[in-house]
Amino acid sequence: MTDYNPDKGYIALLGWSLSAIDAMEKFDRHYLIVAPSWAKEYAEAHDIPFLAWDFERLNEKSFEIAQTLKEMGIDVAVPLFEETVEWAGAINSVLLDNPRLLGQSMLLRDKSLMKRRAQLGGIRVGIFEEAHDRADVVRFLRRVNQTLLKLDGDTNDPIHFKAFDLAGCMGHRVIRTADDVDSIPDEDFPALMESHLDGWEFAAEAWIHDGKIRFLNISEYVRLGYSVFVPASPELEALRDKVEEEIKKLIKAFDIKFGFIHPEYFIANDDVMYFGEVAYRPPGFKVFELLERVYGFNAYQGMVMMFDPKTTEEEIEAFFPTPVKDADGHAGCFGVYPRNRVVSKLSIPEETENHPYFEWHELSEPMESKVAKRSAFGNHWGLVYFHGEDAETLRDLLKAQEKLDFYV
Amino acid sequence: MSEANPTQPESGADPVLLKRLDAAIGRLRNTSDKLKMRQQQPAIEQAERLLTSPGGVHACLARIVSMDEAGIFVGTDWNHPARLKPVLVRHTLESGDATALVLETLSELRFLAIAGGQYAHAEVSSEEAHHFLAQVLGLNLERLFGSQTEVARFQDPAWTEALAQLFRCLAEEIGYGRIFDAVISEIWRILAQRPIQTDRLKAMVAQLSLWSRESSNEQSPSGWGADRLVSALFGPTNECREDPGADAYEAKLSTLDEKALAQEAAGMARAMHDTGLVSAYHAVLLRHLVAFRTDLVPDCLGLSSTGRENYNSFAELTHALVDKAIHVETAQSIYGLSLLLERGILHLPPTAPALWRQIQLKLSPESAQRLIDSFGNTPEPEARLLAGVISILGQPLGVGQGNNPTCQAARAIAMWSYTDPDYLLQLVAWAARDNEIRMSFEGESISSGNLNAGLAKSGLVDVDPVSAILVPHLDRVYMEMGRLCAGREGDPHRWINPEMHGWWVGRQFNIVVDVPTGKLTDIEGFVQRFYAAFHPDHNGGQPLIHPSPAGIAVTDSAARFVGWHAIAIVRVSRDPSGEVRVYFFNPNNDSGQDWGDGIKVSTSGNGEFYGESSVPIADFTSRLYIFHSDPLEQTASQPVSSDEVEKVRSKIASSWGQDRL
Repeated sequence: MTDYNPDKGYIALLGWSLSAIDAMEKFDRHYLIVAPSWAKEYAEAHDIPFLAWDFERLNEKSFEIAQTLKEMGIDVAVPLFEETVEWAGAINSVLLDNPRLLGQSMLLRDKSLMKRRAQLGGIRVGIFEEAHDRADVVRFLRRVNQTLLKLDGDTNDPIHFKAFDLAGCMGHRVIRTADDVDSIPDEDFPALMESHLDGWEFAAEAWIHDGKIRFLNISEYVRLGYSVFVPASPELEALRDKVEEEIKKLIKAFDIKFGFIHPEYFIANDDVMYFGEVAYRPPGFKVFELLERVYGFNAYQGMVMMFDPKTTEEEIEAFFPTPVKDADGHAGCFGVYPRNRVVSKLSIPEETENHPYFEWHELSEPMESKVAKRSAFGNHWGLVYFHGEDAETLRDLLKAQEKLDFYV
Repeated sequence: MSEANPTQPESGADPVLLKRLDAAIGRLRNTSDKLKMRQQQPAIEQAERLLTSPGGVHACLARIVSMDEAGIFVGTDWNHPARLKPVLVRHTLESGDATALVLETLSELRFLAIAGGQYAHAEVSSEEAHHFLAQVLGLNLERLFGSQTEVARFQDPAWTEALAQLFRCLAEEIGYGRIFDAVISEIWRILAQRPIQTDRLKAMVAQLSLWSRESSNEQSPSGWGADRLVSALFGPTNECREDPGADAYEAKLSTLDEKALAQEAAGMARAMHDTGLVSAYHAVLLRHLVAFRTDLVPDCLGLSSTGRENYNSFAELTHALVDKAIHVETAQSIYGLSLLLERGILHLPPTAPALWRQIQLKLSPESAQRLIDSFGNTPEPEARLLAGVISILGQPLGVGQGNNPTCQAARAIAMWSYTDPDYLLQLVAWAARDNEIRMSFEGESISSGNLNAGLAKSGLVDVDPVSAILVPHLDRVYMEMGRLCAGREGDPHRWINPEMHGWWVGRQFNIVVDVPTGKLTDIEGFVQRFYAAFHPDHNGGQPLIHPSPAGIAVTDSAARFVGWHAIAIVRVSRDPSGEVRVYFFNPNNDSGQDWGDGIKVSTSGNGEFYGESSVPIADFTSRLYIFHSDPLEQTASQPVSSDEVEKVRSKIASSWGQDRL
């Protein structure tokens, strides 16, 4: 973008996201994309300000990139993906001259440290333990089930297994048996293990500036890893005050002054809210796009405002709508995984196509006919978008998609 | 009307589809310019759903301004309406590519909104939009009337209906009276080139006739020349004025007295030579005369003294040709027969015996099937092919490549018919009977029978019977010759053209493009050599002896490079105003092109014979990139002035040569 406001910050976005680039193209901030070199050609062809950088593990080069960005006049770095969260922390600790930011980002990257820190902050969490090898997993599975007074031969209650530093559903497995344990690849260790809580799982997104929540969204999962919609149903929105209190605890426990967080919670059968995990980056399931559909504001732009030290109070107030009240209906999406082992073409089911809530999809024809076996939650093949007035209808509709074949 | 009014019912369009499209337009509008492409396809898909559903065309028209402003055309060929050409619309509508089809339809709706004053567009005025749509209508008239073309038959019925709806909208906006005239002048313009394939034109004339009957009580269209077209086809003479049907006309003929029959013969000939269209009644009459009154055959063919002399010398052959080839379905070949006799080529010793062979020729099953696929069973494929042969020999420059990438083959057929009909007849016999032709390339024999398909992968679309039989073979041989030239430096036509077309192709190969770099090379020398070979003031006034294959860089009306194209130079001489023009054969279906920079290819009115295109020699040279010549033939000539060379160079530089200097 050539016409930007010189009174606002110069923003570095860490990671390659066309949606984020699109948001910046329409925004009033000078920006730079810092992403791996494979994106360079596209960026040059489309005249997108670009700096190539490979986000390997943090190393001595992190100071080099921080210094480079500082010399360019960058005010702040914004992480777009899990892998870039600690890079943003390292860079911002230099740019903003605040060494604690690096430590904070490390906490937000390591699921086990994160959990302990939350516990220290007085936040309810389930039973959890770290696993370094498969024996740890088997032991944890047995002990959890012993606690539940299960006898040998009873069906186990599952446990959750999450690789330490992978985003969201990547590397998240549900373990019920010793066989499940055997299927975990070596590279997923070390990992965090948690007991399974029966209940209602949901996520929230909070835009934070000056230590305060500026916009809070609750995303209702219809089924984790498959479908989500915003704003949440009236039943879940009834808990908004409670959610806000919990997030304030998180802000305090992690000492978050600015930015954007995406925590996940459980409401157990006893109506107690348990903290699952929190990420310091946009959610993976296109919740930002859904928010734009119902509220009309661009969530990436909102996120950048939260990071930008030059953002003003008036700007923030003018930007965000009133949650729920200002929403035009509910928008949801469903991630499609092929259900057959062999597929030949994309075929949108008639039930989907003919439903008035269906809006569009970003699925494409299959690249290969054999479907890789899905071990962890893994990646969907594309999203199908819905929009409508009634949350219950939308929830049932999203649920119904799980039984349909989009690839035949 | 940038936003559709939600309270207004939209002629039955599905509200769910409307909501989806509006949401898609919203997403597209919200996408930054650099990334428009990400949201274009979803919006196009939603537009397609709506267009192909009831009421969809009107609903899209109501949204066309917001679609355009949201950027649905950005980065596509349709982004600048001022650069669009009516003549290309048909091909896109027939392409079957869903995205192109949607964008083309929306583009027409945009013109409609501009024409109707609902949309003020910076590039195109309301009048220009009107004019554009009138031309589109004229060129796609059958869409309006829903007549089934070959192409439409393969199309999704929902799309056929959507396009019919679109064209009804266009016709209502433009007004029937206006299109009527545009259609008529369009038909005359194409007829002025005397094409062999007239099916499409005849369908248009048939529609015109229905139309003028239907609208006779509303507004009377001015319709200059409409009567002549309609009557040439459906009632060219006294006795068939009421379009009585072939059987009734035939029955009537035997009751006519001598004078009336002579009038019929003269009337038929007059209508045929006036328009280039032949009525089915003409076939009935000609068969009758051959059977009962051969003395009237020359009148019925409209022959001059040359033609009469040829007919008298070869009456038996002529009667045999009529008997086998001329039927109601193949009546158009009567025009070819007339011109064949006028050309006098029957006096070339091999021609008459070769035609006797053609009359007797049995077709291979593959060849017969190919003709049946294109033309149906009646008359039998042998007769259909013979009729095609008659047309080609009578109208060498009437052959066209149809909707196929086979300009090389079409050009070859035209040149052989023009200069070497005996050889053409031999090739047709081989291809039709043996399903194989042989040609030699630098001593090596190439058989078309062993080769894979060339440029035309599927069946040929919209071509005459001879092309239908011969082009697949020529195409394969051409590709094979190209393969044998692989690895040689420079343009392969240097070797292919003389080997493929004949000994008479000049052995000096001239090219103005350096093939490895694509840059222009020695423009001055190229121009000097071309003028020395062809320009009467620079070659000692020697008229061109054989048609000469040449390559041109085709440019569009904005003078942008479109592609390389094969043509044949037929004559170079002074037009009635004294200007030296190059008269050439263009195998595409419509030679009247606008090459940009003020260069408009003329097809009539500048001394052209039927089928020829022409431009002034400097303009022609500025689009030429390959020609053949024979330096030994040339006398010492005076060099071309530097002014003239500069004129050519600047026209190259401002068009296709822009990035090649």
